[in-house]
Amino acid sequence: MAARPPILRRVLQSCTRQSISPQLGLTTRSFSSSTPTSSPPASAQQQHASPGTSTTHFGFETVPESEKQHRVAEVFTSVAESYDRMNDLMSFGWHRVWKDHFVRTLNPGFSPLSSPPQSPQHILDIAGGTGDIAFRLLHHAHNANANPSVRVTVSDINPSMLAVGKQRSLSLPAAQQASLSWLEANAEDLSSCTPLHSAPGTPTVPIPDASVDLYTVAFGIRNFTSIPAALREAHRVLKPGGVFACLEFSKADDHPLFNAVYKRWSFGAIPLIGQLVAGDRDSYQYLVESIERFPSQEEFRQMIVDAGFVVGGKGYENLTGGVAAIHRGMKRRE
Amino acid sequence: MPPRTPRAVSRAAVRSLLPREAPQLRTATRTFTTALRPRQSPLPQPRCLQPTPSSSLRPSRTTSSYHSTTHPPPPGPFNPHERLLLSAAHAHVPAHGFTPEALALGARDAGYLDISTNLLPHGAFDLIRYHLVTRREALVAKARELDAQKTEDRVFELTWQRLLGNEEVVGRWQEALAIMAQPSYVPASVKELAQLADDIWYLAGDTSVDPSWYAKRASLSAVYVSAELFMTNDHSHGFADTRAFLRRRFDEVGEFGSALGAVGEWLSFTAGAGVNVLRSKGAPI
Repeated sequence: MAARPPILRRVLQSCTRQSISPQLGLTTRSFSSSTPTSSPPASAQQQHASPGTSTTHFGFETVPESEKQHRVAEVFTSVAESYDRMNDLMSFGWHRVWKDHFVRTLNPGFSPLSSPPQSPQHILDIAGGTGDIAFRLLHHAHNANANPSVRVTVSDINPSMLAVGKQRSLSLPAAQQASLSWLEANAEDLSSCTPLHSAPGTPTVPIPDASVDLYTVAFGIRNFTSIPAALREAHRVLKPGGVFACLEFSKADDHPLFNAVYKRWSFGAIPLIGQLVAGDRDSYQYLVESIERFPSQEEFRQMIVDAGFVVGGKGYENLTGGVAAIHRGMKRRE
Repeated sequence: MPPRTPRAVSRAAVRSLLPREAPQLRTATRTFTTALRPRQSPLPQPRCLQPTPSSSLRPSRTTSSYHSTTHPPPPGPFNPHERLLLSAAHAHVPAHGFTPEALALGARDAGYLDISTNLLPHGAFDLIRYHLVTRREALVAKARELDAQKTEDRVFELTWQRLLGNEEVVGRWQEALAIMAQPSYVPASVKELAQLADDIWYLAGDTSVDPSWYAKRASLSAVYVSAELFMTNDHSHGFADTRAFLRRRFDEVGEFGSALGAVGEWLSFTAGAGVNVLRSKGAPI
């Protein structure tokens, strides 16, 4: 008899794992609970926090800063292969509309025709593992703006996600593949990055000060251990006049009824879909909790301003009633 | 009492241009936004520069949601960095239109990158709005030159001056109208039109707070928009045809306005009489 199909096997594994033995490192929470909780439990605030160390949040848990990076890495290593399929299922495919809009409004590679071109644009796509944004940026620059002199560096802290992206990039036109480079880097410290698939012991390469025209981060920044540190690092690597652009889940509080449905969906259905499709409930429980913990549009705008950027208008653009939002900031000229 | 800023001076100076009345009369229900922002530095000292009791008692707040001559005007729609990019881009509009091209060229002139235009949330529409706002603000200076005329003549003259503000970009104005008519930009465009009509009537010295307040602004908006459209196809010297067109529309509105006023008077008399009849029958009104 043939072996069970892999997906079914993973589902069974994940169910068994949860019912029998709590998973390593996630001992104090019950992820298999089917009750949606849309607010952090009060008692969870203190979990894992040992006195004297600085802490941050991992979903609704409070963990030492040193641990978050490791645990986020676990989550994304676990979901890398099913990441894009899961995005489609969780958002009904709508994440593609958001990403297309994000890239189209940024208009990468645009250059006035009536004037000699400036130096080639360097775009840094942070947390861009599977290449979703990077490929769109390249496509827009090459096809919409007919400007092939654009370099895109895809950076991610997680080599598994980068490996998926690099594999996907093989189906791009050769000219676009040539403009891509892949970098394993921590967005909070871009001074020591490792090119993907380099041999161990290879010296790290820094991203120099004032070298980037456009810094994009889509659905990544809420996983960072310290968002202000990442913003400061973005400010460092951008050229004066360079643009920081962030697409991230946000708050839909302006529309209470819609928000209630959305919360019910995200806390009720998404972990379940994760369990059935990716065989991994915990990672998707983390996903919805991290969305809930991310600051509101106004708070995040203030963080961008505090990092030294200037914002235009009200500083953000809501997508789908605020489920996601685009924040943009420009590094001012001294 | 905080020291008087140049802003307060210019506001008071504009007030001094207007017919002298009690200040309370000028508390129409409007948000007077930008027309009185200082554009010229020191002005001749006007008579009403003396602090009024109300302004010396009430601490000055940053903004007010209603029209007030004792509050500083609310901040304009653009921050200094946006203004820098937009004013540089505006110089390229006659050649390149209200386009990303003009914005990027302006960003380069200001020492920024092509990508820096992403600071502006709505791109080309922000450039159009910048044009609308700055031309509207320029009317304050024009109003100062028109001192000794009747209100109707001042309204006509201010409207004409505002149309002349489009002179440089008139070849590109149809594009701009098309962008303004895009559904997501319609509310902002209509609001800007309303503020223009409002500012023209205010600067012309109209202080009425009766129902004609609405009729005046609505009719002026309609006249202005039609004249603006006419102007995009006007090739006469000095836009003489547009001026004649504007004069005809104003005359028509004058007749229409007096007819409307008569109807309004009749309606209010009838309503008042009806209430009195009911009261005489013992209705608790």
